[in-house]
Amino acid sequence: MKKIFIVLILIFISTKLVAAANTKDEILKNLRCLVCQGQTISDSNSDFANIIRSVVDDKIQEGLTEKEIYKFLSEKYGDWILFNPPLKNYSYILWFLPYVLFVLGGAILYLMIKKTLIEKK
Amino acid sequence: MLSNLGIISSSISLLASLLLIYLSFVELKVSGDKIQKKIYKFSSVQLIFSLLSFLVLLIGYIFSDFSMINVYENSHTEKPLLYKISGTWGNHEGSLLLWINILVLFSFLFLFLNKNKNKNFKIFTLIFQNLLISIFFIFLLTNSNPFSPVFPIPGEGLGLNPILQDPALAIHPPLLYVGFVGSSIYFSAALAALISKVEAKSLATTLKPWISISWFFQTTGILVGSIWAYYELGWGGYWFWDPVENSSLMPWFLMTALLHSVLVLERRIGLYSWVIILSILTFTMSVVGTFLVRSGILNSVHTFANDPSRGLFILTFLILMVFSSIFIFFKYTPSEKKNYKIFSKEFFILINNWFMVFFLAVVLIGTLYPVFLDTLIGEKISVGPPYYNFVLAPFLIPLLFLMTSGPKHKWISSETKIFFDIILFLSVFLFLIIFFIIKENNLLINLILLFSIYLIIQNIFDFYENLKNRNINLSRIISHFGFGLLIFFISVNHIFSVESNFNVRVGEKKDIKNYIIKFENLETSSGNNYKSVVGYFEIFNKKKLIKENLEPEIRVYNQPKTITYEASINSNLFSDTYLTMSNISDSDIFNIKFQKKPFMNFIWLSVLLISLGGILNFFKRKKEI
Repeated sequence: MKKIFIVLILIFISTKLVAAANTKDEILKNLRCLVCQGQTISDSNSDFANIIRSVVDDKIQEGLTEKEIYKFLSEKYGDWILFNPPLKNYSYILWFLPYVLFVLGGAILYLMIKKTLIEKK
Repeated sequence: MLSNLGIISSSISLLASLLLIYLSFVELKVSGDKIQKKIYKFSSVQLIFSLLSFLVLLIGYIFSDFSMINVYENSHTEKPLLYKISGTWGNHEGSLLLWINILVLFSFLFLFLNKNKNKNFKIFTLIFQNLLISIFFIFLLTNSNPFSPVFPIPGEGLGLNPILQDPALAIHPPLLYVGFVGSSIYFSAALAALISKVEAKSLATTLKPWISISWFFQTTGILVGSIWAYYELGWGGYWFWDPVENSSLMPWFLMTALLHSVLVLERRIGLYSWVIILSILTFTMSVVGTFLVRSGILNSVHTFANDPSRGLFILTFLILMVFSSIFIFFKYTPSEKKNYKIFSKEFFILINNWFMVFFLAVVLIGTLYPVFLDTLIGEKISVGPPYYNFVLAPFLIPLLFLMTSGPKHKWISSETKIFFDIILFLSVFLFLIIFFIIKENNLLINLILLFSIYLIIQNIFDFYENLKNRNINLSRIISHFGFGLLIFFISVNHIFSVESNFNVRVGEKKDIKNYIIKFENLETSSGNNYKSVVGYFEIFNKKKLIKENLEPEIRVYNQPKTITYEASINSNLFSDTYLTMSNISDSDIFNIKFQKKPFMNFIWLSVLLISLGGILNFFKRKKEI
């Protein structure tokens, strides 16, 4: 059990270290092509995608960071354009519910094995 | 003519299903442990006419009989034969007919092949399965009739969406449907088991082959769909966490959970209610998936046919199904033995289920949350790959670890076999070598690599053990081995993928990392049912001094008028070179997407190994019977 906990702790630290995307292509991958059916800007061949591609290019030239570019685009087109939904009051459930459920599942599992554990002792 | 024949034969099949339900209820009151021949006969009639109706539609497509609206709307005389055939299930009505055919086939096979002695169990399963069949037949005939006639008969059809004209997509829906719909039989059997109070072991042995086979088809179906998306949709990705992809993955998680927990039911007579719940949920998720795809409430690259009235039907059906299942469950569920103990192997299987249900929950939340948010407060958000990768990727590490250590534990006893320290040592050693080659500095990816290597090596050792004594579960080894490889190659692919988007004119060159991409020429060409512009590119690898020639196309199909962008892929054993081009309106500039994707073939192979485990599991059962 100890091993598992150590691994779990390691994981939650590592999540925070997921490298931030900084290249242009990484940014394009996180943007939705608004005129397409569920494609990213990076994957789409539409005119809209071509425009956004050059907008992102320009903004990088202007020296904006990745976050600033996302902010700029979401102010213009809404959060719909971002494939990585920002943490806001309406997306708390989206981001935290999975972890709550995971812990809940673990708790149920623990209750199931508790009896066996006690008897072992 | 064909239209009438189709309607008549599907009506006869519907009638046979209703009669089967009636006869089954009568049969319940008859004593004796043999099912009357009548029921077998009606089941055969049902199957024959159901297959006949599908054959009618197929013939309609092959000979382009445009007197049926469905053929007129989705086919064209100039279409190649293969796509005339696959056009049969490339649309809502036709695929619904295929769906029903699989329901009927499974009902028939269950009745004829099942060796379970409990008569009431078989009869109740038949009742539930035929309720499903009847409801879908009624839906087919009233709302989505593929045989509806059209008058006057059009001279030419409208054609099939060209991106659906593809060999992988020709076989992808049938595979996935066998998986999806195959889960209906354990849904029916689970409910029947509750009512007829089947004992645990007998339920487990009955369910197991059906779970293995549907799991196999589901896995293969997902694989083929993924391969299709890779080369046909032209984005170079193989998994996009698209809502439609998610709908195929959600039942898969549950099937995987079921595949494991049914073992506990078989060996340890435990988890009876849990297996029932999983069985019910799996088919429910399959229907949820179908609802999401067909209702058009999702914004997806894979949605080609949708209509709100269909969505409404499926939703009503879904609600009815869920509530009646819950009712039956609570009315009939037996009280589990209170002093049931969980030992080591069961514990790990429960952990597997914990993870699978968690993965399912994440995918479900990610898929449905935007829909709810939009309806409730009118806020539109997108949930895409960054969300899933962020939430799910960390959980891969404990999953990989548990997949390695879990199977080493024995049933019942809590003692473990001697821990193969050499395996862990070897894994760390190998990981370090790889680490110094790739120099990846992301901790999460490094951990995933380490634990996937551990899983791979463990299974190689297990395989070696298996050669010495034949008692080890080969299907488990192959599937787990495949999963380890899959995660390993996905990670390596992620690290080494080169991707670049740029604009270029004919004759120009572009430098991307180690590559020089030269746009040499542009020519027009034409195919059977399309015209195209072909770009000729030369890609020069500065490091290895290798030249590759790629020819991406922009195709304009005439029936229906559609533009598609055909990727040009040079697939080698270790690495794929991927190029797509699109023109920028009113200019001679082209937008090029260049990608270098290592180990793509290994990713496909890994999934193939995973599903191979499923089919081995299926045949192993047969031998034991």
